[in-house]
Amino acid sequence: MSASSLAPGVPPRWSQIAERGSLWGLRVSVWCYRAFGRGAATALCHAIVAYFFLTDRAGRSASRAYLRRVRATPRGRAVLDHEPGLWDSFLHYRSFALSIVDRIAIWFGRGDEFEYDLHGVDYFDRLAEEGRGAIVLGAHLGSFDALRLLAARTGTRVNVLMFTEHAHRINAVLRELSPGFEARVIRVAPGSVGAVFEVRRCVDRGEIVAILGDRVEPNDRGRTCRIRFLGGAVELPQAPFLLAQLLDCPILFMIALRQGPARYEVFAEELVPPAGASRPGRDERVRALLLDYAARLEHHCVRNPFQWFNFFDYWGEAAAESR
Amino acid sequence: MGLARSEIFAAVAEALAREFELAPQDIRPEAHLVDDLDLDSIDAIDLAVRLEEQLGVSFTEQDLKSVQTLQDVVDLIHERI
Repeated sequence: MSASSLAPGVPPRWSQIAERGSLWGLRVSVWCYRAFGRGAATALCHAIVAYFFLTDRAGRSASRAYLRRVRATPRGRAVLDHEPGLWDSFLHYRSFALSIVDRIAIWFGRGDEFEYDLHGVDYFDRLAEEGRGAIVLGAHLGSFDALRLLAARTGTRVNVLMFTEHAHRINAVLRELSPGFEARVIRVAPGSVGAVFEVRRCVDRGEIVAILGDRVEPNDRGRTCRIRFLGGAVELPQAPFLLAQLLDCPILFMIALRQGPARYEVFAEELVPPAGASRPGRDERVRALLLDYAARLEHHCVRNPFQWFNFFDYWGEAAAESR
Repeated sequence: MGLARSEIFAAVAEALAREFELAPQDIRPEAHLVDDLDLDSIDAIDLAVRLEEQLGVSFTEQDLKSVQTLQDVVDLIHERI
């Protein structure tokens, strides 16, 4: 529970540069999809991602460092039977391009063209039936947008918690794309209580609040836990679990992994906190939940190594070396 | 008629000492929630939720944005009860 000792420059760099770029790329890709169809958008996304692959040396080396970690796990050798090289990193980037095209298709309301193998969504459906709100925790692994399709089945509204100043612009793009889509972005401003109230209102109305739990954002202010993940220590945010404890609502881990063209496997798993409600015991409960989350994440990472979309120095190794 | 300010302060102080494990000598009316007690936005909501349950008041987003010190919290609850 220490203050973040992850290379301090990493998350801001990511959020400042990559998100500006991705918003721009998003606009162009969406336009391309609309004007020329899925094939053209796929080609364009490949071109954009290839450009990033060729020019982003740090990203390439982060990709290889990650793939090496996957291979070093007990099951990893079965998935990656050789030392990860440049080609594997390219496949990693390519899989990102494919995922973006699928996301655009989902936003365009082409969700029904996708096939889903669902695992453990009964609990999710039951919450919807009972009108109970919940926090759904994902990661930059596979596609989080599939959650929207899952929620659309039960008519549950999804709110996405975001830490970016671009939230309102992303909101606008989303609304433009699919006016009928019940999804909204809640922006978290540093140190503000507004977002927490907003989350509370959403959960009280029986809605879903979706959060990506695998990145520490600049305004997490030391509310992180140091957790072992793929053989190395990473800082993970406590906020999603603190919120769930505070609002006394269920928290689910959800992930959708691409198994082929227009084919996803969706996993929804309840993260059950250890018993207790007192505040002094809260840090241990949150830590136990984070360990559970990291273990599930690692499980799916090792089985789908190319769908991990954190193309930066996730373990803070580069910064540690230069210190 | 509602509670006196001193009773409200006692309730708030008790919640802070029990749940937030703050030292009793730090819990003074003039203590600043963020600067002196080191509470952040999640703590603020946590405290609000606990006081809501305990005292039967309810807080709005504006309330939490406006309070600075423990005395502000006590005054706010005094107004509401």
